[in-house]
Amino acid sequence: MNHLTRRGALGLSLAGLGAAALHPAAAQTGSIELTVHYPMPAFFKDVMETIAAEFTAANPGIRIRYPAPSPNYEEAVQAVLRQGAAGGLPDVSFQGLNRLRVLTERRLPVDLTPFLAREGSAEARGWSQPILNLSRFGGIQSGMAFATSNPIVYYNLNLVRRAGGDPEKLPTTWDELLALSGRIAALGDGISGMHFRWAGDDWMFSALLYGHGGRMLTEDEKDVAFNGPEGHAAVALIDRMVKEGRMQPLTVDAALQAFYAGKLGIFSGTTAYIGSMLRSIGPSVELRTTKMPVIDPVRGRLPTGGNAAVMLTRDPSRQDAAWRFIAFATGPRGQEIMTRGTGYVPNNTIAPRDERYLGAFYRENPLFRPAMEQVPIAQPWYAFPGSNGVRVTETIVDNLARIVEQRAAPEGALADMAREVKRLLPR
Amino acid sequence: MPDALPGGFAAPLLRQPAQAGLGEAAAGWLLAAPAALALFALLLGPSLMLLALSFTDWELGADGLRWIGLGNYAELLEDDSFLAALRNTLLYVAVVMPASIGLGLGVALLVEGGTRLRAAFRAIYFLPVVSLLVAMATAWQFLLHPTIGPVNRLLGLFGITPVNWLGSSDWVLPSLCAIGVWENLGYVVVLFMAGLIAIPAELYAAAEVDGARSGWARFRLVTWPLLGPTTLFVVTITAIRCLRVFDTVAALTKGGPNKASEVLLHVMYKEGFTYFRIGYSAAITAVFLAVVLALMLLQTRILDRRVHYA
Repeated sequence: MNHLTRRGALGLSLAGLGAAALHPAAAQTGSIELTVHYPMPAFFKDVMETIAAEFTAANPGIRIRYPAPSPNYEEAVQAVLRQGAAGGLPDVSFQGLNRLRVLTERRLPVDLTPFLAREGSAEARGWSQPILNLSRFGGIQSGMAFATSNPIVYYNLNLVRRAGGDPEKLPTTWDELLALSGRIAALGDGISGMHFRWAGDDWMFSALLYGHGGRMLTEDEKDVAFNGPEGHAAVALIDRMVKEGRMQPLTVDAALQAFYAGKLGIFSGTTAYIGSMLRSIGPSVELRTTKMPVIDPVRGRLPTGGNAAVMLTRDPSRQDAAWRFIAFATGPRGQEIMTRGTGYVPNNTIAPRDERYLGAFYRENPLFRPAMEQVPIAQPWYAFPGSNGVRVTETIVDNLARIVEQRAAPEGALADMAREVKRLLPR
Repeated sequence: MPDALPGGFAAPLLRQPAQAGLGEAAAGWLLAAPAALALFALLLGPSLMLLALSFTDWELGADGLRWIGLGNYAELLEDDSFLAALRNTLLYVAVVMPASIGLGLGVALLVEGGTRLRAAFRAIYFLPVVSLLVAMATAWQFLLHPTIGPVNRLLGLFGITPVNWLGSSDWVLPSLCAIGVWENLGYVVVLFMAGLIAIPAELYAAAEVDGARSGWARFRLVTWPLLGPTTLFVVTITAIRCLRVFDTVAALTKGGPNKASEVLLHVMYKEGFTYFRIGYSAAITAVFLAVVLALMLLQTRILDRRVHYA
């Protein structure tokens, strides 16, 4: 009775085909399936699943389908650019903030301004103007900031104590930080003082530049502006990290490993490391985080990293559902799920204040607080114009390497950097 | 009788020579067609496409593309990243290829000369080849860590000051070369061992009778000449493997610091997949293919003439 005959198998597969053929028809009559693409599953997979589950529960007519996530921001923007040319774009995609510009130049994101207008006061929904500005490019609202980060300082209090530092009075200026780093490095036994994550991209360099109140390019984006007094002060500071803080030219991975092993006193980089730090540090590390040392209390700013939800569907009937999903993910509840799951900073002013969302979380998890407190001075991660953006970044990092390796004087490296970057800007 | 087939035994075919030849040719083409089509669709076609793309300025997602002739190639000549990558790659090949072949031959002779544990040694030396290089790179990253790495600790026992293996622009390429030799050695060993097994033992006996008493004389007169075909293959395959160096650079150094460890495939990857400049990336790939082809031609021309096929 239970034998599956050949005819039975054929019948079954035919029935399957029939069901599949019926499926789109069913979808058209009320329920919509949104395709949502996101990067970095290691950070975001659980968060995305939870958001989809809660969103679908609240919006029964809309189902969320996640195709294979991209491993990083580079491949995520690649995937969307490719689909933009060949077809098959997802309805919504989460994209790195510094990649929104190239997407906008390729005219892929849908301007979200009309959707925001529909919501009434964006401010009242928790989307303040600074938050919206993180994902505004080329005069349109290219996306809605989802998970963002800014640079902070990580300390191993055990090494701070051994070097005679006070864990309750951690440095608030670079002078203090460099002196402490020098003392930690003097402990010997393979212990290094500090690592400032200068390699990889221009993000941490921009933290020093913005900290002095500087900017990357001039207002009209025709010329470099980082070779002014602010830029000189920034590279001089990197030079002092090596000379006074005795910073070694480590790769980022090597520096993190040394920190995990309790052999590095101070690490300065994105707040997004908190999660992996907590998982990876050994028993000899007592972790504490602080805000970045203040350079210019009035003009000083910090860069923002992270990603934003971008609407890609041009189909008006799907845009409505897509907007509802984006609004949920960047609303207070979506942002609570995201923050608890990752360590990134929420991009909704209601979430961190309200006891129903993250109010208690920030009281109980002080490691996450510095980044949150720095949000008011965080400005967008600058994306260079034209097609040489990544190469500009690389030129900056290469010249910083010369300073960190002490192969070039900071002024010389900055001058080379300015000359080389200028050549790469669109004419 | 110009139409007649050589040998008289194909008498039935001789009745309609022209038609039979046509039919045979058609059948031949038909039989070869699947392989020929696959060859074109999978290898030649894409290569031609790549060559065509390298003369355009196409960027991923851009609306259109422009024919810019040799523009990409002209830019390559002024591109510091590319020039550094070309230099580093050739340096890498020049160091890693002879080192791994020399060491590999030595190890193969030693293992083959011994009597016990041959299989065990073969397996041990082959381990790096079968392991995932990216995972192994992580192990190397730990071993070579400037402050907590075992290598520097070991050197410290002899009073040698710690070296920043992967972080200093002086040391990063030598370090990558060392990892490259480690990676290729096992492959070379296994290939040479296979070659050694194929040498008949009588030849050694005969050489000894003819007065080749020392081990060196036997190596020079018997082993080395008979290993010729193996050596040609090993040199070719190792050269290609070295030219293709990518994993360790991508996993450990990203080409840094300051392009000191930039290599061809990594630049190509960055141009195409990070900068979206497909046209330019295609030009780099074309140069890469040209280098590989040139190397192969050189090797087969020079070595093939000297190789003694037993």
